[in-house]
Amino acid sequence: MARARKLERKPPFAVGMTVIFFAWLYLPILAVALFSFNDKKSLSSFGGFSLRWYDDLVHNDALLDSLVASLKIATVATLGSLLLGTMLALGLERVRSRRGRVIGTITLLPLVTPEIVTGVAALLLFTGIGLKLSLTTVILAEITFSIAYVTVIVRGRLVGIAGEVEEAARDLGCTPFQAVRLVTLPSLIPALVGAGLLVFALVFDDFVLAFFTTGVDPQPLPVRVYSSIRFGVSPAINAIGTLMLVASALLIAAGLWIPRLFNRDTSSLDLITGGDRK
Amino acid sequence: MTAGQEVAKRPRSAQRTSLWGWLLALPTAWMVVFFVSSMVIIVLLSFGRTTNDGYPAFATSTANYRAIWNEVYLELLLRSLAYAVATVIISALIAYPVAYAIALHGGRYKNVLIAAIVVPFFASYLVRMYAWKALLSDDGLVNSGLRRSGLSDGITFLNTSGAVIAGLVYGFVVFMILPVYASLERLDKSLIEAGKDLYHSPVRTFFSVTLPATRAGLYGGVLLVFLPALGDFVSAQLLGGANTYMMGNLVQQQFTEGQNWPLGSALTVGLMAALTILMVAYLRGTSTRGREI
Repeated sequence: MARARKLERKPPFAVGMTVIFFAWLYLPILAVALFSFNDKKSLSSFGGFSLRWYDDLVHNDALLDSLVASLKIATVATLGSLLLGTMLALGLERVRSRRGRVIGTITLLPLVTPEIVTGVAALLLFTGIGLKLSLTTVILAEITFSIAYVTVIVRGRLVGIAGEVEEAARDLGCTPFQAVRLVTLPSLIPALVGAGLLVFALVFDDFVLAFFTTGVDPQPLPVRVYSSIRFGVSPAINAIGTLMLVASALLIAAGLWIPRLFNRDTSSLDLITGGDRK
Repeated sequence: MTAGQEVAKRPRSAQRTSLWGWLLALPTAWMVVFFVSSMVIIVLLSFGRTTNDGYPAFATSTANYRAIWNEVYLELLLRSLAYAVATVIISALIAYPVAYAIALHGGRYKNVLIAAIVVPFFASYLVRMYAWKALLSDDGLVNSGLRRSGLSDGITFLNTSGAVIAGLVYGFVVFMILPVYASLERLDKSLIEAGKDLYHSPVRTFFSVTLPATRAGLYGGVLLVFLPALGDFVSAQLLGGANTYMMGNLVQQQFTEGQNWPLGSALTVGLMAALTILMVAYLRGTSTRGREI
């Protein structure tokens, strides 16, 4: 008995580390959020609650243009990568040939390529073929980068859907296209919603690719934030940072929980951890 | 199966294959146009030169590679490697106990705790780096706390190697926690109990049972942290200074401020080559070790 209870005892070192880790993880973020409501310009002493920095943001046209630009980029890139990534996932899952494996590997490459390399390469390609750097080039680069996430998530879900169900639909007189549209796609909806929200959040926040592929104006939000951070830290950036964090946290939380509503037996966290497992 | 069924089935499977083949065509073409060809261009331009009016042009010279091979750049490469290795080691030392506590003692809060780690990490990298910078800056919360408590007049955190490495760890430690957590989750708990039954101390059980059984997750994490850490330029830019610059900063400068794209391409190819060599060596190392046991 005594030994059995000892097994259950929590290891103090690991638990202590976890507490410290969470403090370290959240302290900077919470400090930024707190000081975004500071009435003073200081980053170290709190002079009372105020919304003046948020008020600044609302009247900053350049920043609002950037926000709109980032929303456009994220929306189009999400739709584009959902379409291409789903096609790819369906194709790869059903065509189990050597050619399929080669294609599968190529599409996963962006995940293991440092972003700076992808960004620089995209910059060279776009200027090489004479495309003027603009929001369009950012969108093209972001789609290329996001396809892999969609493919990994959708393939993970496809493994759970037996090909026999499609086969049965075919036996009941469906054309192959109908079988996919009526049977496979509906059961993919939770995965598509999850992948869509995740990609939207990732693209909206992406800095490195946007930095290399953007034109002059309007710059995507993270790029504009980056240039302001380089000149120092100010409560106005605290405010925009807080808003960006809250927005993406909500999106990602939704991306983690919504697929779960559809499908209670799989933890949607597996979508993310599963992506790393390969 | 009769001959008739066999014949009836064939056209359908041919039809299937062609449908799936068509589905693959568009995304494959996309990846070839926008990813593969861009990688080819970067390799080609690394042998290029800059024209007199400052434009990049293709050529067949190895001048860029010879230009990289100098003391300043090699020192920068070594510094980047040292930072990335330090980031990996510190991340592992943090991630393992955290993943262990959550996976084995998280109980019903496991998923909540993991989500609490994942959400800020997948939310803005840039904002988190900024938050870390704001906290450590000379008039930031940490220094004002130190001054008020009378412990010290304040410490200069920014512009040091430590700040850059801390930023990298803060940025990428989640990529270590997730795979380690996944492998600890799948660990057969009865192995630990067996260790205890053999009167191993908890520490010895950990080193002879738990750690070896989860090393695949640890290796995965090492790779996932090392790759982005070596290519990062944001951490050194925001938290460091010229004497803590990494490969990523050098590449970025050539493409934005320095305006020497062929040299930048050669540096990028060099970075990729270094990564590939390390990855192949690493994969070989881990697979041989796997076979021995």
